[in-house]
Amino acid sequence: MTEKPKLGVYICHCGINIAATVDVEAVTEFAQSLPNVVVARNYSYMCSDPGQLLIKDDIQESGLNRVVVASCSPRMHEPTFRKALQEAGLNPYYLEMANIREQDSWVHQDREEATAKAKELVAAAVAKVRLLEPLTPREVDAEPAALIIGAGIAGIQAALDIGDAGFKVYLVEQSPSVGGRMAQLDKTFPTLDCSACILTPKMVDVANHPNIELLAYSEVEEVSGFVGNFDVKVRKKARYVDVSKCTGCGDCAEACRVAGRFPNEFEEGMGKRGAIYLPFPQAVPAKYTIDPERCLFLTRGRCGKSPKCVDACQPGAIDFEQKDEIVTFKVGAIIVATGFDVFDAAKKPEYGYTEFPNVITGLEMERLVSASGPTGGEILVDNGEEQIVPKEIAFIQCVGSRDQSVGNEYCSRVCCMYTAKQAHLIKDKIPDAKVKVYYIDVRAFGKGFEEFYDRVRREGIRYVRGNPSEIFKRGNKLIVKVEDTLTATPLEDEFDLVVLAVGLEPRADDRKTIDLLRLSQSPDRFLMEAHPKLRPVDTASDGIFLAGCCQGPKDIPDTVAQAKGAAASALIPLARGKVSIDAQVAGVIEDTCRGCGFCVSICPYTAIELVEINRMGHMVEVARVNEALCKGCGSCSAGCLSNSIQPKSFRDRQILPQIAALGGIK
Amino acid sequence: MDLNQLRKVAAEVVSRDDVKYLIGWRRGTFGYRVAPYFVEDAAGVDELIFSPLCISNLATYLTLVEKLPVPRGQEPDKRKVALLVKGCDSRAVAQLLVEKGVKREEIVVVGLPCPGMIDRDLLAEKYPETDKAAELRWNGEDFLLVGEGEDIVIPRAEVLAEKCRLCRHPNPVLSDITVGEPVKPWAAADDSGVAEIEAKGAAERWDYWEEQFSKCVRCYSCKSACPLCYCEDCILDRLDPIWVNRAVNFSENTAFHLARAFHLAGRCVECGECERVCPAGIPLGKLNRKLAQTVREEYGFEPGLDPEAEPFQASYKPDDPEEFIL
Repeated sequence: MTEKPKLGVYICHCGINIAATVDVEAVTEFAQSLPNVVVARNYSYMCSDPGQLLIKDDIQESGLNRVVVASCSPRMHEPTFRKALQEAGLNPYYLEMANIREQDSWVHQDREEATAKAKELVAAAVAKVRLLEPLTPREVDAEPAALIIGAGIAGIQAALDIGDAGFKVYLVEQSPSVGGRMAQLDKTFPTLDCSACILTPKMVDVANHPNIELLAYSEVEEVSGFVGNFDVKVRKKARYVDVSKCTGCGDCAEACRVAGRFPNEFEEGMGKRGAIYLPFPQAVPAKYTIDPERCLFLTRGRCGKSPKCVDACQPGAIDFEQKDEIVTFKVGAIIVATGFDVFDAAKKPEYGYTEFPNVITGLEMERLVSASGPTGGEILVDNGEEQIVPKEIAFIQCVGSRDQSVGNEYCSRVCCMYTAKQAHLIKDKIPDAKVKVYYIDVRAFGKGFEEFYDRVRREGIRYVRGNPSEIFKRGNKLIVKVEDTLTATPLEDEFDLVVLAVGLEPRADDRKTIDLLRLSQSPDRFLMEAHPKLRPVDTASDGIFLAGCCQGPKDIPDTVAQAKGAAASALIPLARGKVSIDAQVAGVIEDTCRGCGFCVSICPYTAIELVEINRMGHMVEVARVNEALCKGCGSCSAGCLSNSIQPKSFRDRQILPQIAALGGIK
Repeated sequence: MDLNQLRKVAAEVVSRDDVKYLIGWRRGTFGYRVAPYFVEDAAGVDELIFSPLCISNLATYLTLVEKLPVPRGQEPDKRKVALLVKGCDSRAVAQLLVEKGVKREEIVVVGLPCPGMIDRDLLAEKYPETDKAAELRWNGEDFLLVGEGEDIVIPRAEVLAEKCRLCRHPNPVLSDITVGEPVKPWAAADDSGVAEIEAKGAAERWDYWEEQFSKCVRCYSCKSACPLCYCEDCILDRLDPIWVNRAVNFSENTAFHLARAFHLAGRCVECGECERVCPAGIPLGKLNRKLAQTVREEYGFEPGLDPEAEPFQASYKPDDPEEFIL
């Protein structure tokens, strides 16, 4: 730096958040004594308008050229103060924050020690701020389109919102129809709306929306680029049916030689389908698909004299020659709405899910009570001997949730209420049924939930507090062995049907999405948001947002709310047409770079590549950073053997004096 | 080893238009000493040798060559460099390829299966060098000292270099031309030669290394001889910031050696050059082999075997173990 450093140091009280534990006056006095410090002040709330004005006035009146703010975490207010510097005509990156709240006042009790630590943190920030370099954020154009992965209710809602706002949406769904899990549900709690009735209009809307390009039965294969400029490659899997000709009449499915042979995924395996199928009657697009693993013609090369579907199809839509198709496009933002899997009840062998046909999961129960389900809405179960209408029915809560033995510590948030709803639906259909719910705690936290829970209990559903230890068979009855923990009574209750209220789990194929988009997972293995409170729909990667259960278990209203949030966030770069690229990115010292490419392999954002340069007549490779992709994480710097790549503002020569100052070395 | 065959191959290689020179070994100027030898034309190959004293790793020269500025309007010499490699040397070449220290098209590798090398210090203890010329040869499993007097058979165990005793890869892992028949590895099991020191307690180990590192005179021979220490600007030399102080004392010496060892973790091919050239006799091989052993055991990775491998220090798997991290 050519000009002499003139520092301003501002110590924030943060009300009493800091001031109660740190003697801000003493820290101010100390800061004043540090080299190059022209002004040092303290104020109740530095982030407030008058607080910021103090800084701006000093910059203008005292000619400050560096600013230290000792307050909260830079994640909180760094942007605030950078803006203040900029407004006063100073480069916004001439700011260093000393975190004397999260790293000091909030974690210490002893005032004297906390004050001493605040002084050290301030001294360290002062040591560093003098060495900061001016940086300029850049702006690049943003592609006015969005990619949404997953067309369950979250993906559908986000697509509709972005499409309605006037931007192009590519909605990619890996299964043959949109609708996701919500399409499988019968009624929805707590209002008992028919799930299909409220969902299907939206499914039809996404298919017909002029701004939405629906890519069903497709998978995202590759994503590169950065916020505003993602390049996307999608594989449209061959349906072996020409969708432009298929009318959805269903003649083919009836004709299929193996019709009704295979478990239908949509019916949770309870209904059957053939090799050519429509997953469910309201499927969108209403086009048939041939399952290449089941079709005789595709697996064996022949199907009788000629495939029956081909014979049956009037418009001639069957096309066994069809191949996967790759489509590529550019988008400015991505929403991940990949949803969830239900917990695999086989992982709790004590409940005999794989052993007894009348132990079923909650999702199977949804299909069983659904009028469009395999039994047409009649509750019929196989007790091992015959099909019966169950009269004694048990629900077991928290199967695969709040259970460290299966690695799921979290609450799945929907099971208490779907159990209450299903209990109600059973009572509705089998009025003389005796229904018991075994629970650990009932969590009825949402709008109208507690009222619904009360209503269900008034209907005669018995809630027993206890976590069953075992289910076994006696005669043609299932016995649930449990201790009623409120009365300390061991029970062995008899039932015709046991419904396991299985929890929600991250999708088994999430790994693919994580690798594709370089996302993070929280400890519960769901996709991680950028901040649990303040950035719940963002990810650590700019321009990539989360919606729905891929981020954590949610009910439908929460999912829709998050989808709308994600849509609104994704719309920001789209509507602005530009994105700013942070200037605190890695920089390469080309003179010392040996071009080994370690940083290229290490970079989690694929932001670095090797390029050839002319070094005194020799063409050599050196690393180069794509500043738009770089997040300034510093991984490259840690991996570089010759320290030739360093994040700007966090260069060795900037942070080593900071560390030295912390250690009291001048 | 049929030296005539080696010289014939070498002559063919250096005669090629696209080859600048071949790096090999020749007799030194004193006693039985052996020196590196740059052969520029076919006439020079007669001096080329391969004997049990050709222990030095010539791969070091690949990155040691200074790239002088090319005057404007001129092209840099893009001819290939040919070099003779033993098993361990070839691993250094493979690792250099992994980290793009050299490009495959820049080199011609002549592979020599290695029956084991002599530790010259051990040899000199028993058979001190004189100004009389002498040479060493392989004699079955043992060695033969051929001088002016009667030939002397030296049992293998007496003078075999430690790195050769522990060697798992005596045959070149990559070569364009191989001279000689493959040999069987001598090492019985996966032995890193560190069991003895590992068995000591922490305090004892500390005392041991304190004694060793205190001997260091910071001549940087280890760094210069290492085929994989070739950064344009080594951070251990840097003045801004000074990571390791110039002061020659236990603390700074330790920082120097540990930083070097860690920079070599998952890269060191155990060629033993660092220890061989150390004038203070610091057992640097133990340090590097310990880290190589950890990398092998924890991550199932051995550097310098596959020139296409992902660089170890730059690759990551979600299930990477970290039990050894304190």
